[in-house]
Amino acid sequence: MQHYWKSLEEREHGALAEGEFPENPLQTPAGRNRRGFLKAAGFSFASAVLAGCRRAPVGKAAPNLVQPEGILPGRAVYYASTCTACPAGCGLLVKTRDGRPIKLEGNPEHPVSRGGLCAVGQASILGLYDRLRLKQPLAGGKAVTWDEADRAILARLDSLRSLPGAVRFLTGTITSPTVAWAIGQFLKGFREAQHIQYDALSSSAILDAHQRTHGVRVLPRYRFEKAEVIVSFDADFLGAWISPVEFTAGYSAARNPELTTPPLAWHAQIESRMSLTGSKADRRIIAAPDEIDGLVARLAGEIESGRPEGELARRLLAARGRSLVLSASQDPATQALVNQINHRLGNYGATIDLDQPSYQRRGNDRDAENLLREADAGKIAALFVAGANPVYDLPGGEAVRKVPLVVSFAERLDETAAIAHYVCPDRHALESWGDAEPVSGVTGILQPVIQPLGGTRQLVETLAVWAGAPRPACEIVRERWREQHPDDFENFWEATLERGFAAREPKQPQARAFVSPQPPRQNTSQAGWSLVLYPTPGMLDGRHAYNPWLHELPDPITKVTWDNYASLAPGAAGKLGITDGDVIRVAGLELPAVIQPGQHERTVAVALGYGSRLSERFAQAGPEWIEALPTLGPNGRIGWNAAPLARFENGSLRYVRAGVEPVKTGRRWELARTQDHHSLGSPRRPIIQEISPEEFATARPAGDPREELWPPDHPFTGHRWAMTVDLNACTGCSACVIACQVENNTPVVGKDEVRRKREMHWMRIDRYYSGPPEAPEVAHQPMFCQQCEHAGCETVCPVLATVHSEEGLNQQVYNRCVGTRYCANNCAYKARRFNWFEYARQDRLANLVLNPDVTVRSRGVMEKCTFCVQRIQEAKMEARRLGRAVRDGEVQTACQQSCPAGAIVFGDLNDPKSRVAQLMRSGRRYRVLEEINSRPSVGYLKVVRRRGGQRHG
Amino acid sequence: MNRRVLVGIFTCEEDILGATRAARARGLRVVDVFAPYAVHGMDRAMGLRPSRLSLVCLLAGATGAVLKLWFEIWTAAVDWPVNVGGKPWNSLPAFVPITFEVMVLFAGLATVAAFLLKAGLRPGRKPRLVDPRITDDRFALVLEQADASFDVDSVRGLLSRFNATEVEERVEEGRR
Amino acid sequence: MAEPCSVLTRPLIEGGKNLAQVTGDVCAPMERRPGALWWVAFLTAFGMLAAGVAAVTYQIATGIGVWGLNNTVGWAFDITNFVFWIGIGHAGTLISAILFLLRQRWRTSVNRAAEAMTLFAVICAGIFPVIHMGRPWLAYWIFPYPNFRGPLWINFRSPLAWDAFAISTYFIISATFWYVGLIPDLATVRDRARPGLRRKIFEFFSLGWDGSCRTWHRYEKVYLLLAGLATPLVVSVHTIVSWDFATSVIPGWHATIFPPYFVAGAIFSGMAMVLTLMIVARKAAHLEDYITVRHIETMAKLVIATSGMVALAYGTEFFTAQYSGNLYERFVFLNRAAGPFAWAYWIMVGCNVGVPQLLWFRRVRTHLAAVFVISLLVNVGMWFERFVIIVTSLHRDFLPANWTSYRPTSIEIATLVGSFGLFFTCFLVFCRVLPMIAMGEVKSVLSYGHKPKEEA
Repeated sequence: MQHYWKSLEEREHGALAEGEFPENPLQTPAGRNRRGFLKAAGFSFASAVLAGCRRAPVGKAAPNLVQPEGILPGRAVYYASTCTACPAGCGLLVKTRDGRPIKLEGNPEHPVSRGGLCAVGQASILGLYDRLRLKQPLAGGKAVTWDEADRAILARLDSLRSLPGAVRFLTGTITSPTVAWAIGQFLKGFREAQHIQYDALSSSAILDAHQRTHGVRVLPRYRFEKAEVIVSFDADFLGAWISPVEFTAGYSAARNPELTTPPLAWHAQIESRMSLTGSKADRRIIAAPDEIDGLVARLAGEIESGRPEGELARRLLAARGRSLVLSASQDPATQALVNQINHRLGNYGATIDLDQPSYQRRGNDRDAENLLREADAGKIAALFVAGANPVYDLPGGEAVRKVPLVVSFAERLDETAAIAHYVCPDRHALESWGDAEPVSGVTGILQPVIQPLGGTRQLVETLAVWAGAPRPACEIVRERWREQHPDDFENFWEATLERGFAAREPKQPQARAFVSPQPPRQNTSQAGWSLVLYPTPGMLDGRHAYNPWLHELPDPITKVTWDNYASLAPGAAGKLGITDGDVIRVAGLELPAVIQPGQHERTVAVALGYGSRLSERFAQAGPEWIEALPTLGPNGRIGWNAAPLARFENGSLRYVRAGVEPVKTGRRWELARTQDHHSLGSPRRPIIQEISPEEFATARPAGDPREELWPPDHPFTGHRWAMTVDLNACTGCSACVIACQVENNTPVVGKDEVRRKREMHWMRIDRYYSGPPEAPEVAHQPMFCQQCEHAGCETVCPVLATVHSEEGLNQQVYNRCVGTRYCANNCAYKARRFNWFEYARQDRLANLVLNPDVTVRSRGVMEKCTFCVQRIQEAKMEARRLGRAVRDGEVQTACQQSCPAGAIVFGDLNDPKSRVAQLMRSGRRYRVLEEINSRPSVGYLKVVRRRGGQRHG
Repeated sequence: MNRRVLVGIFTCEEDILGATRAARARGLRVVDVFAPYAVHGMDRAMGLRPSRLSLVCLLAGATGAVLKLWFEIWTAAVDWPVNVGGKPWNSLPAFVPITFEVMVLFAGLATVAAFLLKAGLRPGRKPRLVDPRITDDRFALVLEQADASFDVDSVRGLLSRFNATEVEERVEEGRR
Repeated sequence: MAEPCSVLTRPLIEGGKNLAQVTGDVCAPMERRPGALWWVAFLTAFGMLAAGVAAVTYQIATGIGVWGLNNTVGWAFDITNFVFWIGIGHAGTLISAILFLLRQRWRTSVNRAAEAMTLFAVICAGIFPVIHMGRPWLAYWIFPYPNFRGPLWINFRSPLAWDAFAISTYFIISATFWYVGLIPDLATVRDRARPGLRRKIFEFFSLGWDGSCRTWHRYEKVYLLLAGLATPLVVSVHTIVSWDFATSVIPGWHATIFPPYFVAGAIFSGMAMVLTLMIVARKAAHLEDYITVRHIETMAKLVIATSGMVALAYGTEFFTAQYSGNLYERFVFLNRAAGPFAWAYWIMVGCNVGVPQLLWFRRVRTHLAAVFVISLLVNVGMWFERFVIIVTSLHRDFLPANWTSYRPTSIEIATLVGSFGLFFTCFLVFCRVLPMIAMGEVKSVLSYGHKPKEEA
C-alpha cells in the first residue's frame, strides 16, 4: 500500500499535471485516498488492456454453435471425389480431419481405378498446401483483383470477337464434360475460335489410327483383365502410359495364381529401354527404337498369313479374342497395323472396347503443331492456356511468346504462365466443383473438401464471367448434370456425391466396320544411335514438378531421386568409357549418365518432366551444414528438360529421335540414388524367390508361420497383425511409398541426404537384377519393417525404446529413443530410419497436410514402419464402439490401400479365415531371411516366373 | 596418556629387520616401525596378525552381486515386464555381465574404504613423522619404555649393533 | 631376502642407486620448470584437443548428420574410437594388476605411468558412446535411476547397457587402484615440498601417510586384492565391448571368437601404446636407469605374443566363415579382403601381423627407435582393426539393396584427432604434477641384483 501511495504522489506532483487534464482520473478530488488509488490502478490496468487489444490480431472467429452434421473433432471424414493429377481420372476418397484434407485414397468402388491410386495421385494433395500456389490473378506479372483482370481481359477480347480465327483455347486432355462445355460456350463469342487439346505425353497416333481403321478418333479402352496374351510394343502401361492404375489392376487380376483360373496371362514386352512394364514381362525383347515399328509390321504379316514364325504370333493366334496387342508408337501407320492385328485376332469387343472408349487421351498433335505454326506466323491474337504448359513441354512451344495476348489459368507460375500477359489461377481440385469422364459412361464427380486457400477462381467460373453469365461452379456443374438426369435429380445428385461417380449412358461413337490400312512404308532401321524420351511414373509430364515428394521418390528401376539422366546400356557405356554420373551431351542436352542393364545398345533414354521452372523452389531442400551439397542442379533446377528434343513428324509428336551420338564431356554430376546395382550375388541369396506355375500347382501349403520348436515365451492371444506381399503382383510402381510418406508424416530430406543414403521412406521397393546385365531379369521387393517376433532391434536397445506389443507389433517409442542406432545396425533388413538432422518443417502451410494421428519425429530419433498402428487403433476403437470384433479387411495399411495391384494384404493372423492367414498358408509364401530366425510377421509370395527369358529382337 | 619411547633410525632394510627381530626377542614392546616402502618380512618380524581385509572384499562383492541380480530380475520380470525381442521376462544369462561388474565395483570400493578407515588415513590428517626422511630413505624403530625394567643403555647398545644412525628418547602424547 | 636373489637376477634398476637418489630422480621432473620440449608437446596436444571440442560442439548443435554415417552404416568412427581407446586402457591394468599377481617385479618402473595411461584412455573412450547418440543430452537415460515416469527401467539385455556399467566400473576401479598406489609417493613428495600451497595439496591427498609398517602391511593386502579384482575386470570389460558385436545378427559381428580376440587385441594395442609413451618419457624425464632397455625388451616380447594371438584370431575368423558355408558370412570376409575397404583390411593385417614379427630379432627389440616405430604402427593397425570390423560388416550385410559405402566427414576426423589431443594433454600434465614412477615399489626392488651393503 504505502509503496503505491508513494508512486502515485510522484506522478501527481512530478508531472506538473494539475488542471491540464481535468478529467484525469489520477487527480483525486479529496487528495489521495484509497478510492483514488483504486481508480488509478483501474485506469492503468484498463489502459494496459486497451494497449494490448490494439496489438491483438483481428480475425474472424465464428463459434461453431450448430455442429455440422457427422463431423466430430478428431474423427476422419471421407469424401468421394476424382483425381485430376493426370487425365486418367481415378476415383478418390479424400480423408479429411477437422475440415482439412490430409490424404487421398483410391475409391474401391470406382469402375476405372478399382481402389488403387498411383504415386502422383497420392502426392497431389501437397499441391493444395503449396505456399507458392498463385493466390490471385496476375496482370503482366503483377497481382491484381479479379475485377481488374476481368475488365482488362474483356476489353482486349472485345476487339477480337469479330476477327476470324484469332482466338485459340489450348488445353491438355479435358475429361470434364462441364469444362469442355464451358470452353465451348466461351468460344461461341468468337469467330472460328478453336479449342485445341494436346497431351505432352501424347497417344495421338492411336486416335489417328482408329480414325483411319474405324472412323472414330478415340482411344479404345484396353481390358487387361480379359487378356491371356499381352504383347506390348514399348507401351509402359504399368508405369506411366495413359492409365497405369486401371491397367495395373486389370493386369494383376489376369496374373494372380490364387484367384485366376490358369492359364495366367502371358506378357511379352518389346522395348528399347528398361521400363517398369518390361521388368514384369514374361518375355522381354530388346529392340532398337527404330526397329520396333518394323517388328509390328512383321508380326502383322505373320498374323495376316496365319502362319506364325515366332513365339509371339503363335501365342497370339492361339489366344484369339483373349489377347491384346498394344503399341506406344507415335506413327499412325504402325498403330493402324496394331489395330489390324487386334482386329484379325478378334480382340475388338473382347479385350479392346471401342463402344465405351477411353477419354483419357484426346490430344491431337496435328492441331497443336498447327497452333504453334499459327502462333509463330503471328496469326493468333489471343491464346488461352488451361491445364497445359506448351512453352515447357512442346517442341517449339516458345512460339507462344509471339501471341499478343496470352491468358493462362495455371495454378502456379509455370513456364507458360510466366510469359502470359494475364494469369487467372484455377483452383486446386480439392477446392473445386467439377466432373471427369475418363471412360465413356463413367463420370466421376469433384467436390470441394476445404475452403479455398487464397483468392483463386475456378476455370468454369472465370469463363462464365467472361461469357457474361457469372455463376458459381457448383451450379454450373449441377446444371450440366441435371440435363443428363432430369428426373429425380436431387436424389441422384446426393447419391453421386456419396459414391463419387455415376454410370452414364455411354455416347456410342459410330465406329464403322474395320478398314484395313495401307501398309506403311518400311522405315529401314539405320544402325545409328537413337534417343528415347519417356515419362517416369513419378514425374509424368512434369506438371507436378513443384512436388518434393515426387522428386524424392526413387525411380522404380534406376532408384535415382531428384534428377533425370541419360541411361545407356552397359555395353555401350563400356565402349564410350562412360560410367555412372559422367555428364554426357545428347542432342545438345548435357546431363549425367546412368548405366541401365537391359537397355538396347544403341539407345539413350532420357526422362521427360524435369528441369521445370516449378522445381526452382528446392534451393533450401534438405538440412544445411558445412559439408552439405545443393539439391538444385547447375541450371538452378531439378534435372534437365528434354521435351524440346521431341519433334513433330507428319502430324504426331515423336519421342524417338534418330542419329544422336552421346558424347562424354568429362564433367561429373553425382546422382542421389537409394540403391546401387547390386545383384543377389553368387551363390544367389534367397531373398527373392521364384516358382514356376507347374511347381505352384503341386506346391504344398506353407506351414503355419507361428510354429516353433518350443513354445514361445510370449504367445499372442488377441490379435496378431501380419502382412503378405505378393511379389508376382508388385510392379514396383511405388504408389505405396508415397502413400506411406503421406500417412506417416515422413519428411523430405533433400538430395544431399539421399546421396548419403539417408532417405527417410519407411517403405522402399528394392529392385534386384539377375542374369546377364545386357538382358537381366528384374524383381521388385517392397521392403519395410518386418515386425519380427524375435526382433534384433528390441534386444539391443539399452533404453527399451523399441519393444513388442501384445499384438505382434514392433513398437518404436520416439520420446524414449536416445539414438544409439544400435537397433538399425542389428536390423537384418535395414528397415529403420534415423533423423540425422532436424528435417525441414518450417513450411507452416505444408504442415497442414500432416496426419494428426502420427507423431512428427524430432532430431536424433529412430523411426520405421509401424504397420500403420494408428489405423489399427482407429479400427479397434470403431469396432469397440459398435460392440463387435474387428472384421478382416477393416484395417488397411496406407500402402495396402494405395496398391493398384492389390499386392499387399494386411490382417489378423490369429483369425484363420482372414485373407492374410490364408495367404500365409499359400504354397508361394516365404519369409525373407527366415534362416536367421528373426521370425518376421511379413510373408512374401514368390514370383511366378515363366522362363521365357529375354532376347534381342 | 603420554609415554616414553626410544626411537632408533636406520638407513637400510636389513638393519631395521634385524633390529626389530632382536628387540622382540628381547621382549621389548615394538610400538611401530616406519619405512619408505613395504619391507618384506617386516610383518613377521613385528609379529602382525594377517589382515582381514580379504573378508571385507568377499562380503562386499557378494552383497553387490546379489543386490544387482535381484534388481535386474525385479525390474525386468516383476516391476515392468516388457516383451523385448521375444526374450523371456527373466533373461538370466543376459543379466550376468552387469551383475559381475557391480560385484567388482562393490568389492573394490568397500575394501579400499575399509583399509583407509582401519589405517586411519583420511584427507587433511596431519602426519606424525618420526623422522622427516621416513618417506625418503630412513627407517625407524620405535620401542616403548614400558616399565623400569627397560634398560635404555643396553637397548641403545642393541640398536647401534644394527648400525642405527641415531637413537633418542622421546616423550610422545598418546596416539592410536 | 636380498641375498639369494642377488646372485640369480640381473639388476632391475641400473646405476647402483640408493634410496635417496631414487626419490631425487623421480621427483626431479616435478620440481624443475618444464622445458621447451614439454611446452611444444603440450601446446600441440592442447591444440588437437581444442579442435576436437569444436567439432563435438558443432555436431551436438547441428545434429549427428554431420558425421558420414547413413541408414546402413550406423556406426563407424565413433565406435571405432571407443573400442580403440578402451583397448589402449587395458595395458595399464594388465601391467599393474596381472603382472603384479604374476610377481613380475620389472613392472614397478612402468606401472604408474601405465595406470595413468589407462585412466586417460578410458576417459577418451567414455566420451564416444555419449556423443555418438542422436540425443546425447539424454545419455543418462541408459542408467536405471528411480523416476516418476511409472515403472520405467532400462534394458539389461542390451550389450550397450552392459557397456555403460562395464566402462564406469572399469574407470572407478582403475582410478582407485591408481590412487591407492599413489598415496605413499604423494607423502614422499609432500615431505620434500617447501611449506606452501603445493605442500598443502599433497598433504591433503596423501591422507596423512606416515610410513608405518602396520599400514604398509594392510596396504599390501589391499593392493593384492585390488589386483585380484582388476584382473577379471579388465578381461570382462573388453569381453563386454566385444559382445556389442558378437550378440548381434550381422555377419562379421556375430562370432563367438570375439571376446578372447578382443581381449588379446586390447592388450596388444595397449602394450604398443605403453612402449610409445615410455620410450619418449624415459628420454624426456631422464629416467633411463629406471625404464631400462630390459623393460622395453620385455614389453616388446609381450607385443609379439599378443600379435600372434590376434593373427590367430584373424585366421580363425576367416576359416570359420568359409567352413560354415553360410553365404552371408563367407561374403563378408571375402568382401573385407577384396571389397571396397580392402585397403583398410590390409593395413590392419600388415601392421598387426606383419610388422611385429620384426620383434623376434633381439637387435630390433633392443633398438629403441625401431621399437618406437613398430609400436606406432601397431597402434595404427589396431585402430583399423576396429574400423574394419565395424564398417566392412555393416556396409554390405544381408540385403544387397541396402549396400552402401562410408566416408568420414571432416567433423569425424577432427573428433578423432581431438581424442588424441585429450589423451596426450592429460598425460603431459600427469608427467609434470605426479611421480611418474612408483617410488615406493621401485625402492623395494632396488636391492635386486646388488650385493648387500657391507656393514659400515
